[in-house]
Amino acid sequence: MPLASKPLLRVSALVLLALSTAIDASRADGPGALALAVKATYLYKFQPFITWPGNAPASPGDPFRLCIVGTDPFGETIDRAVAGQHAGAQAIVVVRLTAVSPADHCQVRYLGTGDAATARRWETAIAGQPELTVTDGIAEDSAKGVINFVVSGNRVRFEIDEAAASRAGLVISSKLLSLAVSVRPNQ
Amino acid sequence: MIAQPQRVNLWKATPKIALTIAILLVVAGIVIVFLAARSYSAQKLREVDVEGQILGSTVSAALTFNDRTAEQEYVNALQANPEVLNAAVYTASGALFAGYARSPDAPSPDRLLIRGKMVQGERITVVTPVMQDGAAIGSVYLQVLTEPPGRRYVRYSVVALLTTMAAVVVGVLGVAQSALTRTNAALETQSQELADINRTLLKQIGEREKAEAALRQAQKMEAIGHLTGGVAHDFNNLLQIILSSLSMLRRRGGGWQLAPQAARDFRNLVDAAVSGADRAAALTRQLLAFARRQPLEPTRIDVNKLVSGMSELLRRTLGEMVGIETVLAGGLWPTFADANQLESAILNLAVNARDAMPDGGKLTIETANTHLDDTYVRTIEDVEPGQYVMVAVTDTGTGMTKDVLASAFEPFFTTKDVGHGTGLGLSQVYGFVKQSGGHIKIYSELGAGTTVKLYLPRLSAPDGEASEEPKDVGLPRGSSAESILVVEDEDQVRDFTVTMLRELGYSVVEAANGQVALRMLDADPAIRLLFTDVGLPGGLNGRQLADEALKRQPRLKVLFTSGYTHNAIVHGGRLDAGVALIGKPFTYATLAQKIRQVLSGERE
Repeated sequence: MPLASKPLLRVSALVLLALSTAIDASRADGPGALALAVKATYLYKFQPFITWPGNAPASPGDPFRLCIVGTDPFGETIDRAVAGQHAGAQAIVVVRLTAVSPADHCQVRYLGTGDAATARRWETAIAGQPELTVTDGIAEDSAKGVINFVVSGNRVRFEIDEAAASRAGLVISSKLLSLAVSVRPNQ
Repeated sequence: MIAQPQRVNLWKATPKIALTIAILLVVAGIVIVFLAARSYSAQKLREVDVEGQILGSTVSAALTFNDRTAEQEYVNALQANPEVLNAAVYTASGALFAGYARSPDAPSPDRLLIRGKMVQGERITVVTPVMQDGAAIGSVYLQVLTEPPGRRYVRYSVVALLTTMAAVVVGVLGVAQSALTRTNAALETQSQELADINRTLLKQIGEREKAEAALRQAQKMEAIGHLTGGVAHDFNNLLQIILSSLSMLRRRGGGWQLAPQAARDFRNLVDAAVSGADRAAALTRQLLAFARRQPLEPTRIDVNKLVSGMSELLRRTLGEMVGIETVLAGGLWPTFADANQLESAILNLAVNARDAMPDGGKLTIETANTHLDDTYVRTIEDVEPGQYVMVAVTDTGTGMTKDVLASAFEPFFTTKDVGHGTGLGLSQVYGFVKQSGGHIKIYSELGAGTTVKLYLPRLSAPDGEASEEPKDVGLPRGSSAESILVVEDEDQVRDFTVTMLRELGYSVVEAANGQVALRMLDADPAIRLLFTDVGLPGGLNGRQLADEALKRQPRLKVLFTSGYTHNAIVHGGRLDAGVALIGKPFTYATLAQKIRQVLSGERE
């Protein structure tokens, strides 16, 4: 009996493997959901490695504003991830915005667009604001935020634009820089 | 030197101290090794802890962003340090996130179960939390080898080597010190011995110097004695001529037919001349006494009687200012000494006493029987223990200082003004007492007075013999059967002597020197008495002549005459037993008596 079942098992395994590959390829949702969850976590985990200019946030009582502009790919995932998290003494709140304004007072601003032109327009709108702008998968350098998520080797990684950080008045920890896929150095 | 014992003790203790220091050094070395190991361990622990904290701080971002690759790079970087055995990062839940193990046999644990720091043997394990915003987001696990055993042993060896070297150095120093101390002690002993020898040498030199001084003094006295004796001898010869002439003049003058007045004048003039010559003879005797060449004529003396007999003389000599007290012991022993010299001695002492009491005082003369015992005699030279007659002369005068006392007996030493003393007084006393076999001692205290004690040996011979002065009976005369040989180099003296002897009835032959005299003795065996001067020219002195003559004629009697006595016939100031002597100048009467005495075989 065992002798007869071996080829059968091998066939079954092959079938299963083929099936799973097929599911992976057809449903971008699966791995994409995991990547989103990771990105959502990253968004609030950046803050210990970033130093904002002294005048922001305005007062300790103010919450740490994590703003999402444009398309919100995270939904509840980010709300759950951020729940109970603090940036220092500040509670982290997720703020969803449809338009970009310097008066938004965001510490972290996730630009929810895959379009480089849109991203660049938003960035221009808040140019000089002490905000950590995070873009997602933008290929064009000039349109990337301070941090730009990329997926590399099936893992969510990020690029850092030190020049942009400098323009925003932010200082990025070398620890974070060492984790970046690439760093666009400060000129 | 008084502080030296302490120093010596310190030196002696040095080897022990060195040994103690060496032991302490070894102990200190062991303690240092132990403490160093502990301190090294603690420091290593701190270092590893800090290293863990650094690692924790470094890996926080990678842990935060779940970057296993980056994390692995961090922990792998630690393998550059050969002491790191394990390095690992764990998540907050304790799951291994990234790890590095030097040896595959001892991998980092899958789950972290320990916290804090611990030392296990040669391994230090530290678990440090990775902090992010005040919250622990994971842990760093570090396991480090404290120190390779080889290196540790090398370290211990170096300390052990240093300690041993220090101990050896201290030990060697201690041993060297000990040897040095022993050498020092030996040197000390040697130098002590040298010092002793030096002291002995100095003492001997001092004694020799004293002896030399005494010898010089003796030589000086000898020279003065010769000089004085020579002068006295010549004087005596001259006086002999004068006295002989005068005595013959006196005898023969009786036969001259002179007017009564002329006879009286003749006698007075002769008497005056004899008196002057006698005084001159007394002076020469004094000269001889000063020179200690005066032959003593010791006789049996009752000192009490002698002192009593001097009382009038003393009273006159001392004057009214000085009272005289005599304390004479009953049953005083007789002594054997020259009475005239003893009188002179007492008089000299009395005169000194008077001079010491210019404002008057009291002179005490005391006699006593005394016994000088062995103990007392041992401290003095030339004194025999035994019975002595003591004469003490004490004054209440000024006394003497120690210096004066030390020189008191020295000839010519005087404290009196120039012209008031010869410095020979006490010297004469001393010379007389010593020559008499006695002893003299002075006790003096400044301002209280002086006592001089003379000790003269007791005479133990029975009474009688020559005890009294010869009675002045008619002069003994000789006969022509009694033949006398007169030997005298001075012609005049010989002539007068021959004349006197012939007048006394003797038959006389004469010779000018010893050789002639011996020939005469050989030619005439009938000669019964040899009367010879002691000092003779021509190779034979009087003594030698007498010895030679006695060899030829043992029954021959011998009478010596001399201006001064000489060693040839005087030993220790006394005449040899059986030797008869008549001092120059002699008178007709003394010659008559002496000749008869010798011829009849009497002894003095």
